[in-house]
Amino acid sequence: MTPPRLLNMIARLWTSLASRLRGRPPVPFSVLYKKFKGILERHNVILELIGDMGDKLGGDYIFDRQYILDSCEKLGDQVFKLISDLNLLCQGKNVALFTAFERILLRVREELAGRRVLSRADHILPLSELTHDLADEGGNKMASLGDIKNILGINTPDGFVITAGAYFEAMTRADLRKPVAESIRALCASDGEGLEEKSSALRQAVMDMPLPRELRQAIEYAAGQLADGGARFLAVRSSAWDEDSESSFAGMYETVLGVAPADILPAYRRVLASLFCEEALRYRLHHELCAEEPAMAVGVMPMVDALVSGGLYTYAPLQEQDQAMVVSAAWGLGKPIVDGTAETDTYLLRREPPHDLLSSDIADKSTRLVLEAGGGTRTEAVPEAERGEPCLSAAQLTLLAKTAMTLEHFFKRPLDVEWAITPEGELVVLQARPLSIRPRACALTEGPAGDAAEAVKGVPVLISGRGVTAMGGVSSGPVHIMAEGEDLASFPYGAILVARHSSPRFAKVMPKCRGIITDVGSATGHMATIARELRVPTLVQTGSATRTLREGQEITLDADHQVVYEGVVEALCRFELVREDVFEESWEYRTLKRVLKHISPLTLLDPKSDSFAPESCRTFHDIARYVHQRAVDKLTSLAETHQDIRERAPRRLVTKLPLGLTVIDVEGGLAQTAGEDAGEADIRCRPLKALMEGLNISGMWETSPVAVDMGSFMSSVTRTLGAEASHPSRLGRNLAVISREYLNLHLRLGYHFTVVDAFLGGSVNDNAIAFRFMGGVTDLTRRSRRASLVAAILEGFDFLVEVKGDMVTGRIKKHPTRIMLDKMFMLGCLIGYTRQLDAKLDSDAAVTRHLDIFLQRIAALRETRE
Amino acid sequence: MTPDAIENPASIPAEAPGGETARRRTSILVLDDEPIVCKRLKPFFQKAGYEVEAFNQPLEALARIEAKRFDVVITDLKMEGLDGLSFLSKVKALHPDTDVILITGFATMETARQSFRKGVFDCVAKPFKLAELLDGVRRIEKERGLAS
Repeated sequence: MTPPRLLNMIARLWTSLASRLRGRPPVPFSVLYKKFKGILERHNVILELIGDMGDKLGGDYIFDRQYILDSCEKLGDQVFKLISDLNLLCQGKNVALFTAFERILLRVREELAGRRVLSRADHILPLSELTHDLADEGGNKMASLGDIKNILGINTPDGFVITAGAYFEAMTRADLRKPVAESIRALCASDGEGLEEKSSALRQAVMDMPLPRELRQAIEYAAGQLADGGARFLAVRSSAWDEDSESSFAGMYETVLGVAPADILPAYRRVLASLFCEEALRYRLHHELCAEEPAMAVGVMPMVDALVSGGLYTYAPLQEQDQAMVVSAAWGLGKPIVDGTAETDTYLLRREPPHDLLSSDIADKSTRLVLEAGGGTRTEAVPEAERGEPCLSAAQLTLLAKTAMTLEHFFKRPLDVEWAITPEGELVVLQARPLSIRPRACALTEGPAGDAAEAVKGVPVLISGRGVTAMGGVSSGPVHIMAEGEDLASFPYGAILVARHSSPRFAKVMPKCRGIITDVGSATGHMATIARELRVPTLVQTGSATRTLREGQEITLDADHQVVYEGVVEALCRFELVREDVFEESWEYRTLKRVLKHISPLTLLDPKSDSFAPESCRTFHDIARYVHQRAVDKLTSLAETHQDIRERAPRRLVTKLPLGLTVIDVEGGLAQTAGEDAGEADIRCRPLKALMEGLNISGMWETSPVAVDMGSFMSSVTRTLGAEASHPSRLGRNLAVISREYLNLHLRLGYHFTVVDAFLGGSVNDNAIAFRFMGGVTDLTRRSRRASLVAAILEGFDFLVEVKGDMVTGRIKKHPTRIMLDKMFMLGCLIGYTRQLDAKLDSDAAVTRHLDIFLQRIAALRETRE
Repeated sequence: MTPDAIENPASIPAEAPGGETARRRTSILVLDDEPIVCKRLKPFFQKAGYEVEAFNQPLEALARIEAKRFDVVITDLKMEGLDGLSFLSKVKALHPDTDVILITGFATMETARQSFRKGVFDCVAKPFKLAELLDGVRRIEKERGLAS
């Protein structure tokens, strides 16, 4: 008897002994199987709910507050029941799982109640990690700068932010949060009585507040690093909650310039204290912000040495020139320009590429502000020869204009951009703020006459009513048709990308492209997610855009209405910028996004790691994943130990290919006549049968070069079975739990790990396939290429696909059984085909090539099958 | 987005917004006490070539209806103060040829069915797709001969 078998027997004996000792008869296996099926169904319901909630962020849907509340409640209810189901199946109470559930539910409720839950506990976050997803931690101003740097890839100063969490901790330790809340409440109740005194008292309290030791040390250390040991001086800037957003506290909070690293703490305190300056308190009072707790994150950046500095408005606030952007520029640092005390050059540029210069007005610039060697700044005279010279070259102006338009497309607002050009000639964006003025087209949102509609009248329509909106919005530009395998580096600035297939590869060019249109693709795929992140209007699944549109043709894409117009419909584009409310900034959008942080990310990935535990569940998705895994494990062990089905214990499935597959037949999955070693002919499980057909069929089992591959393949199978079969939970071995309609397959082939969960043959509505693919030993690039190949294939077969790192999940459901069986056949082919593909995916072009080969082969196979 | 929806062309508008030959703009009144619904529907329909007024307060919308006839009224079913069905009755009493599309929560679908007896043209359940609603308005235009 081999050791695994021995262990098995001991386990069985122990189970039956234990149940006898407990003195109660075991629950019949059929009851437990039903519970198991119930868990699978509920698991699917939960994933679907999570997916639905994510879809709503796409811009295609109208949803309201009630939807968010209802969805969260429904989801919470389902997750709770899922845990209860697992407890019934396992006949034990999983307290830790309930605790994790309560913890997540509480966070969701906090978010819904408007109390933001910080997802990062760090006191210091480097700017290189900030994006708007961390706006609660880093404050709005720094989060925007983080978007500019990290999402759009535009040059900004480096630096870090001292988070809102650090502020809260300092305030809590000093017992100041309550007095602050009370003061604000009293001010709101009395309509500002005693505002000056309260403001002064609060500011003084913050200035005197002791900072926790670890915080002090962390700030001093980070400042020292950033200042390069004192060689550079620092700018310390406010980045409060709500600053620069709809309720702009613009200019009210403190900025401290030219700070030596040794003086960082007093500067930090000064910026914190400005949260309670009179102006800000008054603003709070008059803008119904009484109920919101104020918080201040603080940005720290090195002072940028500038040869030229200035500002740029993406819309000139001039009556006669509302189609232009305006640049002001002067020698030296930017402060005198912002303050309005310096003589500046003024340039007007066309908003449309290539951003022609409309006019330039060169001033006599007699002085400039410069950095002093020992820190601080001083004003000096500009050398005679440079005074009347333009401070920007044509090339610099073009770069500036392109950068500003990229920013405007992202923020969907006319912007005021602060910039500098370093002595090395590099353009650095210091800040981008929404411009309070609006283009003149603003009037059209008020009056009954919609200029936008007027503008599209008579404009030739190239595409209409086809496609699915992956990200809403309007934009215009020349078409660039992306050939398969084309080098992305040559993508022209400001063009609209048109491609046959959607691809996450396009992420690279998204910051400079104005829109995306694809023939094929899914609104929930990886590319769509990235397009939403970068707010690029995107229309997928149009069927024939690559044939309808011509290279270089100027078009206007209205992704909201699934229409493509010929030419640039300026009024429609302008309409986008004058919207009173940007959807992405609405309470509903932000709240749904915040809530989803605690719901949809999957952080429990590896069932074999120690962290695969209830304690590590951070989201509802994690809990669902955990329960699903435990339920599968439990069914597996029940199937081996339950006395009801001792006679139906695991059986080896003898297959043509060396799969090393063990099956547990729950209900009619094998022929009744099948013996201990069942053969493929005995399979009655419909999904498994279809999958095996795909695996077996000639041409799909990639075996070249045979000798090496089969050898390593066999050894990995042996290793898998040898090392893990003795493990009581039997994780990781090639195992199929089957019934006539059901297949749950865990298959490790070579280095790939595949999970297929399929229920086919009941009612159409119950038909569902979930396919998951992960693992691989090659480097990350090849693994992600393989992930994109698998994703592209699945998308091509109508699966809803999600890619997380190198894990690909594809789901399809509710199609007629015949079609679903065809998908199982395809999955069999796919598993065979990709088995050892990593090594061959040596370029992005190889992905496309293998995609084509696979699709061609399968098309041929399907033909012969039919 | 479900695969079904992709395959079902009925849920997707068939022609370009702003129908080139439309002589008079179709007028729409939107009433929903959730500001986000108004904020998003108004620019959406404006861009599609409609004349749109949007209200969060039922009483304000009522006053507007008394002063002006709209081709289409889109109203939420459940609101504070005045419910969508009463609003519907008032609209129909004042302007029998105004068509009404009801926006309903999922739970109120049953009431929505009843509303068809009161002359509602179409019901759309929240959360809904913008294209669904546009489709409803287009059908009204077709039936009323508002846009060719």
